[in-house]
Amino acid sequence: MKINRIIILFCFFLICLLVQGRTQELPSNQECKHCHSNPNLKKVLPDGRVISEYVDFDIFYKSIHKKQACVYCHIDATNFPCKNLQKVNCQRCHYKGNLAGAPDLIKYKEYGESVHGRATALGDVKAPMCQDCHGSHYIFDKADTLSRTNKEHIPQTCGTCHLNIYDIYRISVHGEALRSKHILAAPSCADCHGEHNIKEHTDPKSKVFLTQVSVTCAKCHANMELIKKYDIPVEPVETYKESFHGVAIKFGAKTVANCTSCHESHAIFKSDDPRSSIYIDNIPRTCGKCHPGASENFAKGKIHINPAKKEAGIIYYVSQFFKYLTLSVMLALIIYIILDLRKKLIVKRKGEE
Amino acid sequence: MEEKIMIERFTRSQRVQHFLLLVSFIILIVTGLALKFHDSWFGKLVITLEGGVIARGIFHRFAAVLLIFVAFYHFFYIIFTRYGHDEFLLVLPKFKDFKAAFQSVKFTLGLSAEHAEIDKYAPPDKFQYWAVVAGSFLMIITGLVLWYQTQAMLVLPKWAIDITRVVHSYQGVIIAVVILLWHLYIVHLNPKRFPMSRIWIDGKVSLEELKVEHPLEYERKYQGVADENK
Repeated sequence: MKINRIIILFCFFLICLLVQGRTQELPSNQECKHCHSNPNLKKVLPDGRVISEYVDFDIFYKSIHKKQACVYCHIDATNFPCKNLQKVNCQRCHYKGNLAGAPDLIKYKEYGESVHGRATALGDVKAPMCQDCHGSHYIFDKADTLSRTNKEHIPQTCGTCHLNIYDIYRISVHGEALRSKHILAAPSCADCHGEHNIKEHTDPKSKVFLTQVSVTCAKCHANMELIKKYDIPVEPVETYKESFHGVAIKFGAKTVANCTSCHESHAIFKSDDPRSSIYIDNIPRTCGKCHPGASENFAKGKIHINPAKKEAGIIYYVSQFFKYLTLSVMLALIIYIILDLRKKLIVKRKGEE
Repeated sequence: MEEKIMIERFTRSQRVQHFLLLVSFIILIVTGLALKFHDSWFGKLVITLEGGVIARGIFHRFAAVLLIFVAFYHFFYIIFTRYGHDEFLLVLPKFKDFKAAFQSVKFTLGLSAEHAEIDKYAPPDKFQYWAVVAGSFLMIITGLVLWYQTQAMLVLPKWAIDITRVVHSYQGVIIAVVILLWHLYIVHLNPKRFPMSRIWIDGKVSLEELKVEHPLEYERKYQGVADENK
């Protein structure tokens, strides 16, 4: 019996030791900090790129994940030195019904159908995953100015990969308004392209597909509140819809101009800016993209005109003249028909008598 | 019942011209109004039936070519045929037309019991003819400018094109209104002719009707014949 007890006790200690041993294997944040708070800590990737492995723990401890341990995300960082770690998978915590209390409104489905998500699924290592846009160690609420998904920071975030476009957007009227003037109503990349659901511009579901462009631009350029606040010309959207271009687009024509055909998609400038595609000297070239041989006469006269408004000048007066001419012709003919029928009735009655 | 004596009022050539004009006008008006009222159910229906807005343009231009063809046909008909030339002289407006028109108005209003003295073409006929001539001319010119916009803009500024578009658009509506309310009323809805005058098919009118509606022409051509028959 005694021997049995000893064996049981021995086993108990053994188990305790094992359990203790396992918990000791998982390094604490403090342990990670030993190496990763060194700004010079770098790693050479198999393809030759050198990336920093430095983590600014001061910022990390302010981020939304400040209470999480490094190993909660870097689950394979169990040994020292931690080599060849896998990319972090956010879905380990952020899934519907998770017990950790992590927000579960994650848009994996939208992302999965997006141009980025599909590229990732096809194994494109350059395509962005969650952490490429949201950040890895320094994730903040998007209202926080430190966040990579804060509206003012989105252009830089997208620009990490789309550098050429960022370069143009940065100096455009939208980029200047958002980044220099801090006008949050000005569009960042996401306002036109979407966030998780970004599609190629050739995809009919894309917010920047050629038939959708005018709808996307109209979100702001036909929004009365914004128009009044920032003195945006109101007519463009309405007059475009009434123009040949607008009508043709509405009925599904694919070879007509939308907003960006003339105004450019990223290099949008005010009309009095010589860099603008709609600057008076540039108009023949811009129109000429679709109308070969467009002369400088294309620039003589306003483009977005509403014949029913006085601002249209002579076109307004011609239009008004014809409007009343049409109405009076109609009225005169209706009176004529009534009088003629009345007379015929009288003649017929007389004949019957 | 007495056999009605029928007189050929319009020759076959004239009826062919009228038919071609009618076909082109209907296509032009339907496709044109569809574009002008593209937001209405009518516009949506027509443009969808035609197979899109690009196809609509092709229909419209096809009919426009037909109209231009008829215009030239008519022009040569007036210049180079004896009958066509005589008819043209008859349809030219004259001073007595104003008197006749005034008389018609008095008659219609019941101020006078006498019919106006009218030859082959009554003032409204003449007015409609010249309205069609002027209207078609204007529509063809403005239409060609819009059709060959880039070339036209080698000469015309953008604002002139905008005016052209407004004129073409409204002029089209006016022509549609005149045809619907005036011409179609006269030939279809007029109680005497309802549901339709057959003159556009066979070109014939009864001698009785001619006597009432075109007394001068009747006197000029058929008075003698009628007297002899008595």
